[in-house]
Amino acid sequence: MDWLEQELAQALARKEPAAGFDARVRARLNRRPQWLAIAATVLVMLGVGEAWHVRQQEGQLAKEQVMTAMRIAGGKLNRVQTHLKGTGQ
Amino acid sequence: MRPARTLVLSAALGAGLAATLWAQQFKFNLDHLEGKATEHVDLSLNSSMLTFASKFLDGKDPDEAKAKKLIGGISGIYIKSFEFKDDGGYSQADLDKIRSQLKAPEWGRMVGIKSGAEGENIEVWVRMESGKVSGIAILASEPRELTVANLVGNIDLESLADLGGHFGLPKMKKK
Repeated sequence: MDWLEQELAQALARKEPAAGFDARVRARLNRRPQWLAIAATVLVMLGVGEAWHVRQQEGQLAKEQVMTAMRIAGGKLNRVQTHLKGTGQ
Repeated sequence: MRPARTLVLSAALGAGLAATLWAQQFKFNLDHLEGKATEHVDLSLNSSMLTFASKFLDGKDPDEAKAKKLIGGISGIYIKSFEFKDDGGYSQADLDKIRSQLKAPEWGRMVGIKSGAEGENIEVWVRMESGKVSGIAILASEPRELTVANLVGNIDLESLADLGGHFGLPKMKKK
């Protein structure tokens, strides 16, 4: 075995990890999904909240339009009704 | 073959329904008045908009509860209302264009009032289908105001007039 082979064998030789390496990796793996889940939940909640807010605004606008339509159409019919009652028809 | 037949049948039914709804509506042809008007209201509420709006009407409020009940039978509300600074903002031809679309036997003029003192004219036209009201048209004109309304569907005129009596004059959109 020449010096090159010896260097290579040494460099590629199996080394045991430092003490506690396994536990640290496992801990990190367990921690990351929790943060991801929390971040995802917050994002979803913000999205749902915004969508709800927009829907409420659109609903209020639609309601106002319906009430305005009823005021205009109903008001004219009421004028007719009042007029007819006044003329005794 | 079967899906194609179903598709054709659905398209035919859809076209039939659309044609029926279209027949209940009429063209307003009043866009040219928007430039002359000092204030105007333009409302176009189709069936899905009315269904959506009804979810936001408060059943505990007497007026909103009545409106909610009324729009249950309505599939469309289309209103254009204009206010002008001076007399003559619209012409008789504008009204005639609308009247010409309200033809017998479907459409019939139910009532027309003329108030000499204020120069107010209101005509109420009703569209009947199989003995039921399927639409109404209101043409209301004053020297400086013009309102045209088309309500599509089964409308309780008494309730609508009653509802209109509870309100003051509607606030118009400033131009």
